[in-house]
Amino acid sequence: MKDIKRYSPVQFKANPVKTENRDNWDVVMEYSGEGEGPWIVDLSHCMRLDLQDANLSAKTPFGIDVPDVPCRSVLANGVLVNRMNGTQASIYHLAGDAPEMPGDAAYTDVTENTLFVAIIGKAAFQICEKLSNLDFTDPARETPFLFQGPFSHVPCQIVTLCRDGEKSGLVLTCSRGYGRDMIHAICHAGAEFGLKPAGEARFTTWIESI
Amino acid sequence: MTNRFNHLPTLKIDTGEKIPFTYKGKKYYGAKGDTIATALYANGVRIYARSLKYHRPRGFYSMDGECSNTMMDVDGIPNVRTETTLLKPNMEIREQNVKGSAENDLMGFMDKMDWAMPAGFYYDVMHKPAKIWPVAMKQIRKAAGIGKLAPDFVMPGKYDEIYPNCDVCVIGGGPAGMTAALAAAEKGLRVILMEARPWLGGNFDYRSAEYTDRQTYNERAEQLARDVEALDNIRVMTHTANVGVYNNNLVTGFQIGRDGDAFDERYVEIRANAVVAATGCIERPLLFDNNERPGVMQAGTALRMANTYGMLPGKKAVFSIGHDLGLEAAVALFDLGLSIPILADIREDGQDPALLKAVADRKITLLKGWVATQAHGRKQVKKVTLKSVDGTVEKDFDCDVLVASAGFTPLTGPLVVNQAKLKHDAHTNFFLPADLPKKMHAAGRMLGYEDGVAIEASGRLAGLQAAFDCENGSISEIGEAKKAMEDLPGPARGAKLVTAPVKGRKTFICFDEDTTVKNVKQSIDKGFDVPELIKRFSGAGLGPGQGGIPGHNLPLFTAKYQALPDIKIRPTTVRPPLVPTMISTYAGTNHNMFKITPMDDMQRRDGGVFRNIGVWQRARYFSRDFSSKAEIENVRSNVGMLDGSTLGKFRIHGPDALKALQRVYVSDMSKCREGRVKYTAMCNDDGCVIDDGVVVKLAENDYYFTTSTGRAGQTVEWIRYHTRYDNWDFALVNLTDAMGVINLSGPNARKVLEKVVDIDMSNTGFGFSEYKEFSIAETIPVKAMRLGFVGELSYELHVPSSYMQSVWLMLKDAGKEFGIQNFGVEAQNVLRMEKCHIILGQESEQRTNLLDIGLGFLWARKLSEWKKVGAVALRQAQGDDSRLTLVGFKMENNGRAPKDGALIVDEKVRGYIATARDSFSLNEAVGMALVEKHMSAEGTRLGIFEDECEGELIYGTVVPMPFYDPEGKRMKM
Repeated sequence: MKDIKRYSPVQFKANPVKTENRDNWDVVMEYSGEGEGPWIVDLSHCMRLDLQDANLSAKTPFGIDVPDVPCRSVLANGVLVNRMNGTQASIYHLAGDAPEMPGDAAYTDVTENTLFVAIIGKAAFQICEKLSNLDFTDPARETPFLFQGPFSHVPCQIVTLCRDGEKSGLVLTCSRGYGRDMIHAICHAGAEFGLKPAGEARFTTWIESI
Repeated sequence: MTNRFNHLPTLKIDTGEKIPFTYKGKKYYGAKGDTIATALYANGVRIYARSLKYHRPRGFYSMDGECSNTMMDVDGIPNVRTETTLLKPNMEIREQNVKGSAENDLMGFMDKMDWAMPAGFYYDVMHKPAKIWPVAMKQIRKAAGIGKLAPDFVMPGKYDEIYPNCDVCVIGGGPAGMTAALAAAEKGLRVILMEARPWLGGNFDYRSAEYTDRQTYNERAEQLARDVEALDNIRVMTHTANVGVYNNNLVTGFQIGRDGDAFDERYVEIRANAVVAATGCIERPLLFDNNERPGVMQAGTALRMANTYGMLPGKKAVFSIGHDLGLEAAVALFDLGLSIPILADIREDGQDPALLKAVADRKITLLKGWVATQAHGRKQVKKVTLKSVDGTVEKDFDCDVLVASAGFTPLTGPLVVNQAKLKHDAHTNFFLPADLPKKMHAAGRMLGYEDGVAIEASGRLAGLQAAFDCENGSISEIGEAKKAMEDLPGPARGAKLVTAPVKGRKTFICFDEDTTVKNVKQSIDKGFDVPELIKRFSGAGLGPGQGGIPGHNLPLFTAKYQALPDIKIRPTTVRPPLVPTMISTYAGTNHNMFKITPMDDMQRRDGGVFRNIGVWQRARYFSRDFSSKAEIENVRSNVGMLDGSTLGKFRIHGPDALKALQRVYVSDMSKCREGRVKYTAMCNDDGCVIDDGVVVKLAENDYYFTTSTGRAGQTVEWIRYHTRYDNWDFALVNLTDAMGVINLSGPNARKVLEKVVDIDMSNTGFGFSEYKEFSIAETIPVKAMRLGFVGELSYELHVPSSYMQSVWLMLKDAGKEFGIQNFGVEAQNVLRMEKCHIILGQESEQRTNLLDIGLGFLWARKLSEWKKVGAVALRQAQGDDSRLTLVGFKMENNGRAPKDGALIVDEKVRGYIATARDSFSLNEAVGMALVEKHMSAEGTRLGIFEDECEGELIYGTVVPMPFYDPEGKRMKM
């Protein structure tokens, strides 16, 4: 019998120096030569849920109220809840632990469905504007906020979490199948800014700082 | 290289840094900051190219790419605009469109053949008799044209793209553009400032004249540039030409990379809330005989050549100008050492008194109301004939440069491409927009302002108006800015003269297409009396200069020649790209975005040969034998594994989930039972089958279903669309990428799976068409279906994508003793074809309905209450004998299989081959075809017409389906 392992759709050309096995995922905590930023962090092992219900405002995933207005998001206790439309929300569990799947049938576990990365650092949005015409730094919108649109021509969900200089950053999900080409596109776009893969520890520090 | 100034504050070159380059195989040096054209000029080059039609010598006339005069071949790339392209070390520069050299072009005799080539001669002459046309066309095309590109040329360089957003986009980094940007930025808005030149400053930048008592124009430009660059919320994009402006203020352009940039050129697409166009003016060419002879140049060109690039345009220059910038240029160039024997001004009056005094102080002879009528000199200007504007008095002057300019032409391109309509303004003699597009503003010289302070004030006003568009400004501020402008000089009166008093045989209104004033007259005389028609008949404005030279002269001359009392004629329509660039820039980085399955890497390592199929890349073969014989035989006799992860997979749940399924599927979905797999199909409103797949009931009002690979992306919208008026409460989740699919098929499939799972896998424990959920190693959750698409004992295992590789390896390991092998999409295609299981898109096309392909048994005809999509059309199609029918056939005399898509013919086309292959299982060629009903009877002979068969048909015979295991025992074993 072969070892049971889970494989992320994200593969970086970098050497992990510290990993953790979590629910059969090899989660990289740190890569060698992470540099000074910006960074791209693979979060594909983090739980993502789809929540659909005609009465969405009555739902409180992980005790958090779903935002009233589509494309608004709320980050609380390491959980990011994004209102997609009148009846649907996406939920990203950004903390490293594995929470219990809610019993309500309105939830579907879509962790496996997408790749999930964070792009953080001062040049994060300069990298993004090479791949998407969405206005991730729109000052008229309060962070965190959700975009559902094209990124490198692929439909994505992108949440701007912070646009404050060095703390700038966003998380992005798209169909898992695009993993190879999406990562290639982001890393290619980020090369001129010194984008480097970073481990989950970098992300955890960052998310705690914003 | 000529001695160059190195002390002028306006210079943009560094003469201390020499840049080597090769011109016609010989090494030269330019200065850092030179364009290719200025470097060549500094090295004594005066003839840059030959013209398109007449092969006339062409020289340095403009500085901003208005004409093709200085287009050359650079590093193998033809048509490079050398007047706007910066010199880089070791560039290899060649002339283009010459037989011999630009200096001595063997095709130069064409200049004397103009009598044979009147406007529209192409249309008039070459078809009489018709048979000469192919010969003439070849010769004309050989003689004409500009650069040539080798078919195997590979474009060097790095190309990128960028999609920034902003509140206000300012096009033009001159004084008006900069003040507009500052005004908007002061409101806290995000501003992008685009400037085509490599630096800010525009019309102020190269002028050493006095702006105010304490500052020159150049110093003022530098001050504004510093102010702009000091603000974080102004993003300055220099060397970025505007290419287009579209609805909702989408502004496009391209940026040239600097040393150290990650790109050589990049496409720029800006989404702005408001736009300010402050693109200034180009000069309106003066029309006289030989007005494009090398040595003739615009006033701005002569001035910039000295002030920006540090060299005088010649030794002795005659000026024939129609505006104050011409006077200013004469004064500045005189001060730098240029001899000016005569300065002719078209205008009788209206000149700036200060400039008149400066001219007089320098004892330059000024002739008011005089104009150049002819430039003399075979290859370069040697003498000029000047005449009084009324044509009564004439004088000749020796010179090596003729600075000639009739007036200005506003660069209204950004406004026009965004649908502004131009109207002639008698005061400025400009064509200006009558109404500006929404949230778009104009400022600066393009509106006719020549006074420096007024130019800036108009920029500030436009910037405030743009800020107001962004809901960040006040009416009172705009009112104040308008009031401030009232105290300043308004738009200057424009020179009215269009053409010198000449006949116009060698007076070129368009340099790029060698179109003369005489050609325009010929066009009008033939009835082509508006610029749009003249353009197409004479070619004026069709060249790569995008109408930069004929621009507004063409409508002005057209009106004058027809003695129109009121100039209602408009310039020709301007279209993007306003400034042309290379296709490679538009292509940008061009990332390939394909989806791959979780098994991609492992299958590649196993020798998979991949093909792009829609958005996916899939392993089609596992050897270079594209018949896939070994893969097919292994599945038939043993066991194989197929990666079916691209299948669409969905969860539908909620109180009305079943209702939604009833609507879109043709079958009675209430018969879908837990633990069973239901095969069914979807149709469109025409009854044409668009999708098939299986549905599994997970729980009450909770289903899991699959779609074909190609339909997965549209399924959610499809179901939502067809239930949009019902207000049903259900939720759809696309799980296509969440689950990988392994198709384990072959007589040994059960034995392999039994080694991996611990449930009863017997035929009774897990029977055909059953669905089970289990865990592998108590860890990996699997949804398993027992199906038979390839006609053998098969299991379809739906596995979480992240676990796919682990399960795949387990099965591979377990199957080792049974000789398990991968099989690809082509093997699957043949296997299912032998079993006559259809693939939509293969056995169907857009017009094929459910009944045509024999799937009518799926349709629950009596359930009309569900308003099943396509049911009405299917009802009408029942019994329609005119439709095609799917049949099976085998080839006669053990012949080879025809190509997919080949036609079934007799005296007419009767159908086509859907899929046909040489079957290794059956040892004969078989296939499925869609044919007319009357040909569907068993035993009917089918004549098959293939591409390039040269009329030699091959034949098959209709036989019963399926071909393989007709009783279906193997998949139910």
